[in-house]
Amino acid sequence: MSDDPSSNSPVLSVDKLSYRYPNGQAALTDISFDIQPGERIGLVGPNGAGKTTLLLHLNGLLPGNDLPVVDGQSGEASYPVQVSGLPALQKNLPAIRQHVGFLFQDPDDQLFCSTVRDDVAFGPLNLGLSREEVLQRVATQLAAMGLTDVENRSTMQLSFGERKRVCLAGILACKPDVLALDEPSSNLDPRARRGFMRLLEDCPAAQLIASHDLELILDLCTRVMVLDRGRIQADGEPATIFSNQRLMELHGLELPLSIRYGKR
Amino acid sequence: MPRDFLDPYSRGTSICHRLPDRLKILLVLAMIITALFVPPENWPVHGCMAAAVFLAMTLAGIPLRYLLVRLMFFFPMIMGLAIAVPASTGFTKGWDVMATVLLRGTLSFMGVLWLVNVTPFDRLLVALRQLGLPQMLAAILAFMYRYIFVVFDELERMREGRRARTFSQRGLLAAWKSNAQLIGMLLIRSMNRAERVHGAMCARGFDGEIRTLDS
Repeated sequence: MSDDPSSNSPVLSVDKLSYRYPNGQAALTDISFDIQPGERIGLVGPNGAGKTTLLLHLNGLLPGNDLPVVDGQSGEASYPVQVSGLPALQKNLPAIRQHVGFLFQDPDDQLFCSTVRDDVAFGPLNLGLSREEVLQRVATQLAAMGLTDVENRSTMQLSFGERKRVCLAGILACKPDVLALDEPSSNLDPRARRGFMRLLEDCPAAQLIASHDLELILDLCTRVMVLDRGRIQADGEPATIFSNQRLMELHGLELPLSIRYGKR
Repeated sequence: MPRDFLDPYSRGTSICHRLPDRLKILLVLAMIITALFVPPENWPVHGCMAAAVFLAMTLAGIPLRYLLVRLMFFFPMIMGLAIAVPASTGFTKGWDVMATVLLRGTLSFMGVLWLVNVTPFDRLLVALRQLGLPQMLAAILAFMYRYIFVVFDELERMREGRRARTFSQRGLLAAWKSNAQLIGMLLIRSMNRAERVHGAMCARGFDGEIRTLDS
């Protein structure tokens, strides 16, 4: 999907991103990381650490991205969030939002159309695709998510797991190359959670998964970042970081059961 | 609140459900306009229309009980409006105006009630769009229909939470105060949700123009 010819360049890069809430409280401080194409990264940390705030930045959903960071020595200005080489400026937002899909925690926030079909079609229609192409993308995504038989149902009549899958279908229909996922497994029963994880695993887009579900991150991700008090406190391989009891407890986390009992 | 609270019979299969959607809208519109413009002296016309509505309700399989319950909700509202006319003259005259308001209001209400119960709401919106309803108004109606249940559920959860922590009856004033807090809280939560929904729309490329498959 990316137009960038060099496949090694990151699909999304964040460089010294800082953000304060409108009330002045610091939310994110000096965040820097890159996401490579197809990479799946976990984002863990206690409540209020800034996980959702960070995710919202990737899609340009929080104001403030327009402000350049000026280097103290060279005086060069740079923009903290870059998606496929595009700085997250107001004028680039339509393109950036095409590259980055955002899965909200509460499906009721995300499913605002009256039927499943309309909701999945919302993104592709905004991309300006032809009616035929929109219908084709809707059909493909609904089939991939196993939702073909509920196409004409109201989103309100679906189970929580189904609604979550409709959300994902609506995002994937825009063919993004990065997904920002906010608590994808919360409130799902074990079977729905497992099914949803399989869908994420099958999805070729790079993913940044904010979650308290450490087992999910161990299963899906090759890299994890620990976010606490608005700073990235650790960044590395999930199994290594999650085995570090001192680090985990310092940041309000605990060892995943599979690691504590050596089942992994 | 059940998901079909507003229009429990709208997904039926009766002859009324199978009529073309636009025709149904125009029929009800014509009925309302007639009800509003025929003077009350010609009350047999209103009588015929009432009979037609009852017939249409029966054909659509909408039980009389449902109609009566809805009318019970509607009546106090239209009554409050209608009673204002005789009240303004000190209850000496104006009773005829009150009767006219009641008659016309009730007929129009029953017509609309029939319409929403023989047409699923999403199809109703499509038909309204085809009849020239502006896109923005259609979108507002769609959002209202989508989120009214979410907001009611939220209110219900908050009321449940309050009941779980209410141990004694503390008089009318305290009850009203706590109701006011509940409503204020609901307003704030709804505004926050609106912000998140807007974010979700922007995240999928919304730029102020609403595009649908049916337009």
